[in-house]
Amino acid sequence: MSEHEENEGAPPHVAGEFFLWLWYQSETGQGRVDFGEEGGTVEYWVDDRISFRAVGEDKVSAIMTGDNPSLTPEAHAALAGGKVIRDVRLALRREDREYTVTLKAPRIEIAAAKLPALVKSGDDGEVLYERMFLYEELHFILGGLFRAFAAARCADEWRERTLPDLRRWVAAGPGGAGPLDAEAEAS
Amino acid sequence: MGVLKGGLSVRRYRASEPPEGFRDLYTAALEDNAFRDALTEVHKEQRVGWVQVHNLLDNSFLDTNRWLYNHYAVFAMRIDKKVLPAKLFGAHLEKRCQTWCRENNRERCPSKVKTELKEALEMEMLLKTLPSVAVHEVAWNLNEGWVIFHNQSEVPNDTFRKLFHRTFGMALVPHDPLDFVASEPDIANALVSGGASDLRMEPR
Repeated sequence: MSEHEENEGAPPHVAGEFFLWLWYQSETGQGRVDFGEEGGTVEYWVDDRISFRAVGEDKVSAIMTGDNPSLTPEAHAALAGGKVIRDVRLALRREDREYTVTLKAPRIEIAAAKLPALVKSGDDGEVLYERMFLYEELHFILGGLFRAFAAARCADEWRERTLPDLRRWVAAGPGGAGPLDAEAEAS
Repeated sequence: MGVLKGGLSVRRYRASEPPEGFRDLYTAALEDNAFRDALTEVHKEQRVGWVQVHNLLDNSFLDTNRWLYNHYAVFAMRIDKKVLPAKLFGAHLEKRCQTWCRENNRERCPSKVKTELKEALEMEMLLKTLPSVAVHEVAWNLNEGWVIFHNQSEVPNDTFRKLFHRTFGMALVPHDPLDFVASEPDIANALVSGGASDLRMEPR
């Protein structure tokens, strides 16, 4: 049993901030997490969909789809206008296995996950073991990414550095100021 | 789309550890709560029960090789419901009321008669109507205590949790993002107590 079991769970903004952090990290060239010796490295990037909702509402108020939706001015404008991310479609790569998955707030649920097919045919048991292995790997990757986000979100650096960087990035629009740009600006 | 093929769209739950001798217990439990066809063709209430993932008409779990794969239990929840097409039903009922008025030389159809006509028509149409059938797959890792249900809408998930509880005697707990940081309570608590980040530019 986990510590938070008696609580109501994560506040609704947590999933949206996690998605934003993933987007920001991937767009500013940091879309890679090292899970250590056993976990290896995972690369990720926003695939072909981001949807937004207004704060306090659940309905989608804006959707960007197609190639590189995260690089559109509309996506940045939605953030700058105070909208929060409701779901995001991510691509993830670990070793030679590539996944695409839509992550849905507030539970960070896996939707329309496309798993890499290793075994093309076989009996039901073989197919099941493979798909469950891949599902568990996907869940493991998401857990690792969330823990990296949570550590960053709870560190002092979040307010002192990450949040100002995020604000600059949102305001600058696609391809705008990431942490490296900000350092260059400062110097 | 499902556990064995296609894209995965799932809600994840935590489950308790299965009891000693679960293989026989769960076989019996699945049999007891397997999907059963309605006894009459005019049954219109929702029917819910378990079927095999291989075919929604297979509702026997006596052969464990069909649903238990090492530490994975795999089955599906089937929901049947007969729903009459409302507009067509209304149109037929109006015609029958008109016929009754003509035959009885009356201007209006009394409500008692209308109710009788309605019930008779409902029986008639239910006999001709096939149920709408929904099947949602379930995969349960018995060793690690997690369950995935292949649907993310609230109503089917509520139905699933109730049927699961009735069948296996355990309550499922929906996965929460904080489960990812369950081993780091300080971080989990900080996420809960920290407010949302404001991304608007601070005034200069």
